Amino acid sequence: MSDNINRRSVLKNLAGVVGGLLAMPAARTCKAAVQNVFAVSPAPKGYDPFKHKWLMALDVDKCIGCGLCVEACCEENDVPEGHFRTWIERYVITKPKAGSGETRGETFVDSPDGGKEGFPELQIPKEDILKSFFVPKMCNLCEKSPCTQVCPVGATFDSPDGAVLIDKDYCIGCGFCVQACPYGCRFFNPVTRTADKCTLCYHRITRGLKPACVEICPSQARIFGDLKNPVPDDPLQKFISTNKVEALKQYLGTRPRIYYAGLDEEVR
Amino acid sequence: MPPQIIRLVLLTIGIVCVYFTARFFLVPPSFGQYGHYRANALQDIASRQPFWAGKASCLECHPDHAQKLAKGEHKTLSCETCHGPGRAHVANPAEKLPKLNISMCVRCHQISPSRPKWLHQINIHNHYTGSVCTECHVPHQPNEVP
Repeated sequence: MSDNINRRSVLKNLAGVVGGLLAMPAARTCKAAVQNVFAVSPAPKGYDPFKHKWLMALDVDKCIGCGLCVEACCEENDVPEGHFRTWIERYVITKPKAGSGETRGETFVDSPDGGKEGFPELQIPKEDILKSFFVPKMCNLCEKSPCTQVCPVGATFDSPDGAVLIDKDYCIGCGFCVQACPYGCRFFNPVTRTADKCTLCYHRITRGLKPACVEICPSQARIFGDLKNPVPDDPLQKFISTNKVEALKQYLGTRPRIYYAGLDEEVR
Repeated sequence: MPPQIIRLVLLTIGIVCVYFTARFFLVPPSFGQYGHYRANALQDIASRQPFWAGKASCLECHPDHAQKLAKGEHKTLSCETCHGPGRAHVANPAEKLPKLNISMCVRCHQISPSRPKWLHQINIHNHYTGSVCTECHVPHQPNEVP
């Protein structure tokens, strides 16, 4: 036995083990690269997330509150009943009491079933209404997104092309991100048991289609575009240049990227 | 070196080795390629099949409708806004889309104080009750009279 174990053979074996460990990551990378070439994925080919930067803008003055966008989103993304990736809020601001010296009365906000079936007739008499309008809401695509910062496992992230996405295979369903979003744009999906949110219809935009809500909106209240590849007469560029745009809850420092035009101070 | 220190050093090396081995097997491929997430997740999310076909695929076979539509107020509408999801019809043209009824018109044009002023609004309770919208209006060319 003692003949077989000597310094040379031990060093040889050690070097073999270390060499093997060093070679494993390289082998894994090669395997992944080969798999990528031969794997049949229904994902669109040739889409480079670094060559796009998507953005949506919402025009409050154009929203007619039909709720077709909410319906389209729910059908496109299999959103479970009672949950919404986008929704419409109806704001009703009443006239101030005579002689009160105020600029406005009370504010009522409702969103029955997210506005999916449209809105019921207003119960407030028309004479009492100072103004009323619809506001479409959705993920604000924050640059400093608080929802991705709280994820303990790295299951949600800002994609290079501007969407904030959830890796459903990796999400553990802890719900931190649902609480972290100051806009209430995330929910816990009871079917997949993971967090869920607007993906900007990532499966559509990577195929050159518009997101479902933008496609279906009859009044162009939703404007969608690619900041890195503006098309001639780009609706998004035109929207930004012709409107005074702002974003929701800017004081939180989340740097929301979704632009709104025609916001009232009551909208939060 | 005292033996207890050697044991501690060996234990530490052992723990570090176990950590790196576990990490090697547990971290999924492509994690960290773009950031602190699985880069392949982008592909997984993109691999979902679209539900709405999109206006462009309708116009491939119905360019005449596009010309009609472009003249009137409904030029901003996508076909599927009124006609409903058309993916099945795109795949198999024999599969017809359902006939539309008055509810599609009313959904957008029923009067409401919340709706913007530029939108043409009617009150279905007193606007030619009993008639069908298409008796007086052409949906593809709302400015025209039938």
